[in-house]
Amino acid sequence: MSATMPELDPDVFEKVREAIAEALGLDEDEVVPEARLMDDLGAESLDFLDIVFRIERAFGIKVPRGGVESQARGGLVEGEVLEVDGVLTDLGRQKLAEAMPEVPSEDIVEGLKVSEIVTLFRVATFYRIVVTLLAEKKAS
Amino acid sequence: MVLSGPKATARRLREGLHKKPSLPRFVFLVHALTPAHKRILGARFSDPELMAGGKGWGVPGRLCRIVVEGLAIGEVLSLPLLPEELLTDQEGALGRMEDAIRRAEGPVAAVGLGSVLAVVAGRGEALAERVNVPITTGAAATSWAALGNTLRVHERLGGPIVVLGASGTVGDALVEALCGLGHEVIAGGTGKALERRCKTLGAKLLPEEEAAAAARIVVGAATTGGTLAPEHLQPHSVLIDVALPPTLKRGPLPPGVVVLAGEAVDLPHGWTRGLWGQLYHLFAGYGPNQIFACLAEPMVMAIQGRTTPFALGRRLKPGALAEFTEAARELGLTPRLARGWREARLDELPRR
Repeated sequence: MSATMPELDPDVFEKVREAIAEALGLDEDEVVPEARLMDDLGAESLDFLDIVFRIERAFGIKVPRGGVESQARGGLVEGEVLEVDGVLTDLGRQKLAEAMPEVPSEDIVEGLKVSEIVTLFRVATFYRIVVTLLAEKKAS
Repeated sequence: MVLSGPKATARRLREGLHKKPSLPRFVFLVHALTPAHKRILGARFSDPELMAGGKGWGVPGRLCRIVVEGLAIGEVLSLPLLPEELLTDQEGALGRMEDAIRRAEGPVAAVGLGSVLAVVAGRGEALAERVNVPITTGAAATSWAALGNTLRVHERLGGPIVVLGASGTVGDALVEALCGLGHEVIAGGTGKALERRCKTLGAKLLPEEEAAAAARIVVGAATTGGTLAPEHLQPHSVLIDVALPPTLKRGPLPPGVVVLAGEAVDLPHGWTRGLWGQLYHLFAGYGPNQIFACLAEPMVMAIQGRTTPFALGRRLKPGALAEFTEAARELGLTPRLARGWREARLDELPRR
């Protein structure tokens, strides 16, 4: 199951941008889709919690914890291994690239640790998660 | 003329003359840190389901009452919820915090947030919107205590000071304060945003592990903890640890390394907290003679009649660290160099 990067819906993106800017104390101009949360915008791990809270409130959705990881595990056949000793296998990196289409493939490097996946998160990652959850909400 | 007799008594009661002037009240909200804590809260609240380890949300209740003689009255209210439960349902956690505050005694002048409660639901901001009481996260007091302890250690060891977790609230405040005092500061972390911030403040930036090895005074202020292997510390260095969970991963310490609690404060003068208050501090790891700094923050606000929080949201309010430092000085609060429950002696620390 691979995710695709949806086209930007300006209304949805504006709310995502606002949530991230408020959580990180930034000007909204700095929050662009390709910006990396940790590296470019200075987020720390606890900020993700705050961003999720603000997004849940803004859209009336529930963001599942570990959503990207479970998305990457989706469709996994028995015996297939995504990580060994905390390091992603080739299959794990492939699944991750499919689950996070907004992340350039060159960023999903060999030796990437599961604990480092969070460093790949971009503004667009949250946008995609929101769009997916909104579609699920509408369908249900 | 001294009034006496039944008529006079009735008049005094009507006019409230029998009452002593009321002290300002503060609340400190906490939660269970472990399943064992949850069971203990069950005993405290006489809730059989919690005592049996039930996973329900339970009802917030008073853990203990604190009296600061002649100055303030505090209540420590606890949500019988584990960190995982709070993180999974932040909206639910917010509702429980609001509920707890509404259960507090009398008019409350300030509310402090402990542990995970200071980071869920917009780091206090959503709660502040819901209740008509100033909310403060404790980050200014924590920064004050960590700064005071760091400066004391620096007097003995000298040299540069490393701050791990420099992108967090407390880490950022420490880097700014230490740079402002003219110290050589090495921030631990990566990223362009942190690079820009360090450049502005005049700090050097290194990846966490390199930073930890670069000096003999290391302040652990990361918000996640458990991130640094002990072997990255220099022998005969001092780690002043503010992180919860603690900064270091499991493993043997290099020779002569001393780990100090970063946010311990001497038990304030005139402070009584009853049996459950003593037990609470024991279970929280602070022992009988010290408290953790963030507990002092709402107390200071209540005593000062301050309505602007020292810390709410991601960054300290401008000037908050200096203001808290001044308030703490006036009230005689002092950071404590603590090793577990006891005060560290200076001769236990390494020398220059």
